[in-house]
Amino acid sequence: MAYQIENQPADVRESLYFPEIFRAIGIVVRTFWRNAFFSRDANPDVISRDLSHSRVTTIQYPEEKMAYAPGYRGLHRLVPRADGSPRCVACYMCATACPAQCIYIEAGEVEGDPIEKVPTRFVIDELRCVVCGFCVEACPKDAIRMDTGEHPPPTYDRVGQIYDEKRLLRGPPVSYDYDPWLRRSAQIPDAAMKKMRDLARPFAKDAKDEFSQTPGFSVRTLASEAKGRAEGGKQ
Amino acid sequence: MKRFVGMWLVIGAVLVGMVLLFQGFYLLAGLGAVVAARLGAPPFYGSAIANTITLMAVLLMTVAALLTVAERKWSAAMQDRIGANRIRVFGTALGGVPYLLADALKMLTKEATYPAARSRLLFELAPVMAFAPTFALFAVVPVGPELEVFGQKVALVVANPDVGLLWIFALAGLSVYGTTLAGWASNNRAGLLGGVRAASQMISYEVSLGMSLVGVMLAYRTINLSDMVLLQGNAVLGPVPALGVLLQPLGFLVFFTSSFAETKRAPFDLPEGESEIVGYFVEYSGMKFGMMFLAEFMEVVILAGVVTAVFLGGWHPVIFEGWLRANLPPMLFAGVCAASFLVKVILLCWLQLIIRWLLPRFRFDQIQALCWKMLLPGALLNLFVTGAAVLLDPSLQLLAWIGVAEIVAIFGVTAAAARTPEASQHGHDQGHAAHAAGH
Repeated sequence: MAYQIENQPADVRESLYFPEIFRAIGIVVRTFWRNAFFSRDANPDVISRDLSHSRVTTIQYPEEKMAYAPGYRGLHRLVPRADGSPRCVACYMCATACPAQCIYIEAGEVEGDPIEKVPTRFVIDELRCVVCGFCVEACPKDAIRMDTGEHPPPTYDRVGQIYDEKRLLRGPPVSYDYDPWLRRSAQIPDAAMKKMRDLARPFAKDAKDEFSQTPGFSVRTLASEAKGRAEGGKQ
Repeated sequence: MKRFVGMWLVIGAVLVGMVLLFQGFYLLAGLGAVVAARLGAPPFYGSAIANTITLMAVLLMTVAALLTVAERKWSAAMQDRIGANRIRVFGTALGGVPYLLADALKMLTKEATYPAARSRLLFELAPVMAFAPTFALFAVVPVGPELEVFGQKVALVVANPDVGLLWIFALAGLSVYGTTLAGWASNNRAGLLGGVRAASQMISYEVSLGMSLVGVMLAYRTINLSDMVLLQGNAVLGPVPALGVLLQPLGFLVFFTSSFAETKRAPFDLPEGESEIVGYFVEYSGMKFGMMFLAEFMEVVILAGVVTAVFLGGWHPVIFEGWLRANLPPMLFAGVCAASFLVKVILLCWLQLIIRWLLPRFRFDQIQALCWKMLLPGALLNLFVTGAAVLLDPSLQLLAWIGVAEIVAIFGVTAAAARTPEASQHGHDQGHAAHAAGH
């Protein structure tokens, strides 16, 4: 709190110097006895501590932790569904949005489900993460959150800062009524499943999507170029 | 509430422990005297050797070492912190006392580095020169009264020379050498600056240190510290004993301030000046630094001891003294007396630490101005007033009344705050608003 300092010349009593020091000693002695003889209120919310006896405002950090503000961006977590599987559908939105490119996802199919994808691997390198929260904003399924209120705990090697899906999947499960997997209860016949799978292939053998027909721009060309670059770089 | 009760329990246990400890010291001193008498030497030699071990090597060193921990914990309490508490023994921090061991281990195992261009002999000599005179200063401070143990008269004082106070002046003067030599021998410009500052500051304050005690010498007509303590037990104003602080409040103030400057601690810590020059010990590491560090704390304890002996009645318990003397066995009474000396010393150390954490560092010209323009004239005035009062009334009653008047005046001036902070701040805000409106 800022306060005004009075810039008046010292009067006779103040320029004697000692009386003011005696008064100051009195103030410090009072503070000393309060803090020495009464135990500290250990409320981690320092602002609402009871300072009527001890005025110590210390938080013993590793044992006592201050609660962070609700918007605090802490360590990531993958939000589980009610059954414990991740809400994540491996859409790569977060990996795409990530400016630090610290998210790595490998998608896999759900056994017996023609539509749904799950991440078989979901890895966040917390050392590269810039804690911007874009992944949380980008996620269409509310599957990644930064609401743990924790820092990444310190480790002795870098490997310890690379969090995979087993470490990330934690915290309270989240469920919405409109979650598609909750509404999809009917069993799909095998024939329909095969047809859907064929249709669900990312690129048909004879591409007819608009991008592949645009002159000079083809996703497949770009992909093969990228593959070539990657292999060329290896050699 | 638990802490409140616990603190009082600890304080009570420490007090009882002190009384028992000092009775043990008396027994050891008596034993030494008996052994010396058997060997055909004067019994005083034996008790002096026992006292050297118990008082100087055990008591003084323990209190000084504990003061390093106390500085952390007490300064924390003054600043709304907790202080050192991470070393835990069976789940409790024990008030930070284990840090003593940690500090000692650190000092002893640290690498000792040497500046290449040092002055070899003086560099090695300086910590000793800082440590030894301070250590020897304690020899004349009487800790406990005289007592008959095993048929020998012993007192808890290492030496009882008639030149008591002069010994203190002489050795306090010698301790300048340690700092100055350390600064010069390390061949470092920051160190030299610290050494020069230490020399000029300590020599200046030596003058007011001496002058402030001349009044006490006049009042008690002795410079023997043991006699001085004995005389402070005599009643002067009704039942009130003739304490030095009652007869010489101004002298007490000047001496306490000057002794502060002698210890080279804040607010007089220009020779150290951690933020600008590291000070005269900038090139010292390991236990050589540790000795200077410990010497500083020992100076705090010893000057508290001298102030206690000269101004606060030494080992006199002051309150209930007659009752205690009449009802306790002599051995227990002597223990209580010595414990009350130690309690006074610890309270004074506590006061010194408070002032050390309270006041910001002076500028160098302010240090010299305080010494030569305030303390020295104050001491001289005190000297003249004391001389006149003792001449007029040798029973010291007049001097005591003058002292009472001085104490009342000091308290009155302190209590009469010319302006309260709230009112002045309010007035200033109004003035500020008016000023802004004018624009």
